[in-house]
Amino acid sequence: MTCRPRCGSDMGLIVKTSARAIIPLIGIFGAYIVMHGHLTPGGGFQGGATIAGAGILFLVSFGLDEMKKHYNKSLYSALEGIGGLVFLGAAMLGMGVAFFYNILWHNGPFFNGKPGTLLSAGFLPIMNLAVGLKVFTGLISALTAIALYRRWKS
Amino acid sequence: MKRTLAYLSLFFILGVLLYIANPNYGLVFGPGGKEWLSLRYTDNYYITHGLKEVGGMNIVTDIVFDYRGYDTIGEATVLFTAIAGAIALLRPWRGDES
Repeated sequence: MTCRPRCGSDMGLIVKTSARAIIPLIGIFGAYIVMHGHLTPGGGFQGGATIAGAGILFLVSFGLDEMKKHYNKSLYSALEGIGGLVFLGAAMLGMGVAFFYNILWHNGPFFNGKPGTLLSAGFLPIMNLAVGLKVFTGLISALTAIALYRRWKS
Repeated sequence: MKRTLAYLSLFFILGVLLYIANPNYGLVFGPGGKEWLSLRYTDNYYITHGLKEVGGMNIVTDIVFDYRGYDTIGEATVLFTAIAGAIALLRPWRGDES
């Protein structure tokens, strides 16, 4: 494989430094969107996609080799499975009444505070966290798979 | 000539869109006012009952995770299927030259 002077898939110094500064901010913003999904606009899908955007910025700016060091396939796969299972489990909590019945909000031991506070709205925060985790790990896995297994010649 | 025609057609389309979007004499998407409540009672139900029944301040999250929870399960399944499809299509095949 013939290589020009910079044949690695990483970008230049300016992009790397900017990404190093911006990636934590994007992650914090995405975590805020996921946590406040039942209070402010946004939710699990949107916040998870935002955090995944931080990871994809890492992949684009630092290159595939650096991503391979930090990406653990089994860990991300397990986290995605846990997200889906927690989502289904939270949906099955109110199975006595109906599927997706919000029993934690009506007569649950926790997550039934005053509307507008962080610990309110029953299973909505749990579902937001689960779906955010699932979307984050899923999008990172999909984009890493596409970058890893690309079929075109460079 | 061609460029002038293109700009003129753009202005024409913009004018048509402005005319259509005017609420006074443009297109009317469904009835408004009191009749709206009688026909679109589902929207009004979510707006008035969402906070009491589900508890979230964000009505969209109330609908997505409680009233329309099956839809969210389907979306999660779609995400999983997208990853599985990407890996299944793009993984190295046996006949590929190394």
